[in-house]
Amino acid sequence: MSRPDLLDESLSVAPLMEARDLVQTYQVRQGFLRRAELHAVRGVSFTLHAGETLAVVGESGCGKSTLARMLTLVETPSSGELSIGGHDAAHPDRQTLAALRRDVQMVFQNPYGSLNPRKRIGTILEEPLVINTNTSADERRRMACDMLARVGLRPEHYDRYPHMFSGGQRQRIAVARALMLRPRVLVLDEPVSALDVSVQAQVLNLLNDLQEEFGLAYLFISHDLSVVRHVADNVMVMYLGRPVEVGSREALFETPRHPYTQALLSATPSVNPDERRTRIALSGELPSPLSPPSGCAFHRRCPHARPECADSRPALREVEGARVACHFAEEIMEKRLTSAA
Amino acid sequence: MALLEIEQLSVSFDTDEGSFAAVSDLSLTLNEGEVLGIVGESGSGKSVTMLAMMGLLPFNARVEASRFHFAGQDMQTLSDRARRRLTGNDIAMIFQEPSTSLNPSFTIGFQLLEAIRAHEGGSRRQRRERAIELLDQVGIPAPAKRLNDYPHQLSGGMNQRVMIAMAIACNPRLLIADEPTTALDVTIQAQILDLLMRLQEERGMAMILITHDMGVVAGAARRVAVMYAGQLMETGVSHDVFREPAHPYTGALLNALPERHPGTARLPTIPGVVPGINDRPQGCLFHPRCTHARPDCRASRPALVTMHAETGLGIRHVRCYHPLNEEDLEIMS
Repeated sequence: MSRPDLLDESLSVAPLMEARDLVQTYQVRQGFLRRAELHAVRGVSFTLHAGETLAVVGESGCGKSTLARMLTLVETPSSGELSIGGHDAAHPDRQTLAALRRDVQMVFQNPYGSLNPRKRIGTILEEPLVINTNTSADERRRMACDMLARVGLRPEHYDRYPHMFSGGQRQRIAVARALMLRPRVLVLDEPVSALDVSVQAQVLNLLNDLQEEFGLAYLFISHDLSVVRHVADNVMVMYLGRPVEVGSREALFETPRHPYTQALLSATPSVNPDERRTRIALSGELPSPLSPPSGCAFHRRCPHARPECADSRPALREVEGARVACHFAEEIMEKRLTSAA
Repeated sequence: MALLEIEQLSVSFDTDEGSFAAVSDLSLTLNEGEVLGIVGESGSGKSVTMLAMMGLLPFNARVEASRFHFAGQDMQTLSDRARRRLTGNDIAMIFQEPSTSLNPSFTIGFQLLEAIRAHEGGSRRQRRERAIELLDQVGIPAPAKRLNDYPHQLSGGMNQRVMIAMAIACNPRLLIADEPTTALDVTIQAQILDLLMRLQEERGMAMILITHDMGVVAGAARRVAVMYAGQLMETGVSHDVFREPAHPYTGALLNALPERHPGTARLPTIPGVVPGINDRPQGCLFHPRCTHARPDCRASRPALVTMHAETGLGIRHVRCYHPLNEEDLEIMS
């Protein structure tokens, strides 16, 4: 495949993807002539290296999908910096944009909706090549069959239609399509949450193998913490558009610092009969991003909230090896340890 | 006496390609006030079983059972009219997708009042008060105001609460919850589960919780039934079943959960897929995917055998010739 390779620099040291203070604001209409600003994502920063997985965790409306759209260069961030392989991806020129888009590909949640039912698998897999490269038809077919084998399907599936496949197989096809252009970063938006348990394990294994084989970096969006614990190297927990805790998998799952992370962990059901955790019940629902609460966005649902929390918004700061946005993180961590003992 | 007794239930659908058995040879009993979890992957027949109970299956479905009793009444001989009175009144059901179960063109008050009018009656004012009381019970803030809202004005969690309010409006003796939390966020899921458990305890109603999430069952149901391809594979006390599964399918399913394998890159999987309409195997339905399969598994379909687990507390039913931990289980005749 002949393509201007933008990423030939020494990748082992420099991060593949780096975001600093990403912000996405939408103008929404509220009735006649009334307009409001919706801050979907605010102040997201991270670095992602080759072969690494960053998991983004949060409930609906927390900005996960907006983040995914910015990272896949579908949307331009309102402000902030995004670089992919050292190139400015927040304000790229046309050529760079076209090249960068190949480096970031996406896998969607629902494999029933993300594959065109009227197209054959071969056509679906070759479409990225048709659009982005000038490979010959024979070459494309060979590459598509190769990729089918890579994701655990058979070459004879090339001529079949999506409806002839099960959910797990369809997700394999979606992964294959995303890999056709040999991207460096894969943004996976809830890739296994529509799948049954036994199939989920198969797809997670496949993603793991592909990551090793191609040295891919994954941005893994999920609400299922047991899956996140399995796949992630680093985790970012988001609440109402802002990261509230960012750290390594160990740091987050062993000693969650933010009360929201603690509540999420305790709310995740487990089959282990010996692990009966006391559930931290969160009252209320996610507030509307159109009128976020003052101060800490979480304070109305937080079991540890104090008057200060309504007044000032805590910044993301380092607390014992992870970054957390909570005024009382140290105290809360300590309380959790003493109550566990 | 058991509230619900089902013996050898089978549900089949007549299609152009012949008859297809969605559920076969299913036996269940449920006592008053008991919570039973039914787990299974998609296509295992768990929802069809419950729809059969509610009489909500399409016309091409054939339901047969050697015994199908609810609260002493034979559901098979009941007239359609009597049956309709029963479902809704004594048996209620909530579904997975609250936003599609509610009618978007009517206010939630209208829909809730409709259910109350159909089953309870009373004056207009009494009905309205009852509706407000119900919304309050399911934890909806400012219930009187919410009555005039349309489903799209409420969040998914709130809509599910409305569905629950509707289901408990007539004080059912059995509540069937079909994936009640699957479409909801984790923290909201915990809230709805807590609400269901609280209502179940307060009212002493029996509950059948259908889910694909074994963690949800482990936390909520005392007894669990595992279904695969239309058959019950294993039932028992959920604590025991999850600790020491007897059926290889239950074992493999539990083993495929990421939470069981911290720190390992690859997960054990179940090879193959759930058999579809036309490729149900001979013999044990699970044998092509089973790592413990032996020749007799291929030859004939095993029956559900009652077993007594030495380690655990309760009786276990297993449909397998070669259950796991065989030495700990004692076949009861």
